[in-house]
Amino acid sequence: MTVVNEHMVRDALSRVVDPEAGVNIVDLGLVYGIDISPTRVQVCMTMTSAACPMTELIVDDIHEQLAAVLPPDVAIDVDLVWDPPWTPELMSQAARSIFGWQREH
Amino acid sequence: LSVAGRPVARRAALERLPLLLLGFAALIVGTGAGLARLAWPMPSAMAQAAGWHGPLMVCGFFGVVISLERAVAVGRLWTYAAPLLAGLGTALALHGGGALAPWFYLGASAVLLLATLSVLKRQREGFVLMLAMAAACWSVGTALWALGAAVHEVVLWWLGFLVLTIAGERLELSRFMPPSVAALRWFAIIAAGLLLSLASSLPLWWHNAAAGPWAVHGFGVALLALAGWLARYDIARRTVRQRGLARYIALCLLSGYVWLAVGGAVMASAGLEPGRPSYDAALHALLLGFVFSMVFGHAPIVFPAVLRVALPYHLVFYVPLILLHASLALRLVGDASGSFTVARWGAIGSALALAAFLVVMLSAVLRSRRTGSTRPTMA
Repeated sequence: MTVVNEHMVRDALSRVVDPEAGVNIVDLGLVYGIDISPTRVQVCMTMTSAACPMTELIVDDIHEQLAAVLPPDVAIDVDLVWDPPWTPELMSQAARSIFGWQREH
Repeated sequence: LSVAGRPVARRAALERLPLLLLGFAALIVGTGAGLARLAWPMPSAMAQAAGWHGPLMVCGFFGVVISLERAVAVGRLWTYAAPLLAGLGTALALHGGGALAPWFYLGASAVLLLATLSVLKRQREGFVLMLAMAAACWSVGTALWALGAAVHEVVLWWLGFLVLTIAGERLELSRFMPPSVAALRWFAIIAAGLLLSLASSLPLWWHNAAAGPWAVHGFGVALLALAGWLARYDIARRTVRQRGLARYIALCLLSGYVWLAVGGAVMASAGLEPGRPSYDAALHALLLGFVFSMVFGHAPIVFPAVLRVALPYHLVFYVPLILLHASLALRLVGDASGSFTVARWGAIGSALALAAFLVVMLSAVLRSRRTGSTRPTMA
């Protein structure tokens, strides 16, 4: 039986890419939390814009990427939250260097 | 928990298709109407709509696409009234209900404004305020038009609608870039310049005069400054170094910014006097060159978002983009040199670019079906 761990979930989420930025949602800092129980994986996430039509698509993509690695009896739950709001400081060093941030930021 | 937290059935997404088709009907008839104005022989349905070229493109096409996109983002049923009203406006315009059409477009703009204000309540950010201002510009321009103003008298407001919508979206994405106080300050100054130029044209309506020259020249200068801001602070300068779709989008954006600068410069120097070549040059540099470059760039992510169809990137995406830029350059050469013949060949080239764009997007969808890809390609 597959043991579900956070590393595996995070790995699957990092295959969900913002098509315009060409950067995945984990590096963009959109994933706020991952909660794993034997029957359920819950992902808490945000988007940079509430006016962006891509939200549905990204949530769908998360479901598909997780479904591909999780045992079929584990439920997937994606919670979309706007509080706390996303800030650029949440981006990983890898994402920042793509957009030209200096190291010390 | 938002409704967007659950996967949406593909069938539900496909129910949005009729709304989008109303937008594309406006695009196709509107383009034909534009060519009829340049004395190209067109089918009678398009030739009869010659006077509707501007409203069909701005309210009928962009109005539907932008308000549908916003409705998908907000996710509440009432927000879909905006693309529906705009689509009905187009249907009326083309079927003898021309007197009523502006009021339907006005209704669409009001719903878009309300939908955007509901986003603002959820997310109190400057870029959402810009999107709300943009929708308000569409409302003001369309209200003046419904009350009897000519299209050329309200076109500045309609430009404000499209330019501020794009500017707001780019401002949002610029937050990926290193934080810059100067960037925000300049953006605020430019946005204020655009809005003040528009507002300064309003008092003249009460005196029954056309928009003052100051409004147009000021607007042109602000557009030029916006092009500079985008070239400096937009993520496209960074994402152009990525590959595939991200790079294609970035190249659409950067080439669009060049046309924004050209259109702004023409407007700042020559004003916007209907019937003159500079009027044709400024409006088409902005609307075809700048705004349609944005459409070409974002279609591969917006179509999948709205319709849930896969639209995988392919190198052939560049063909309509190159055709668009080349034909527009030809048109502006014609305008600048006073050659109507060259300008109208440029126009037909742009119509072909739009047709090529539709064919390329549709064939990408069909190709993905054939190869069995079931989900939109995100990367």
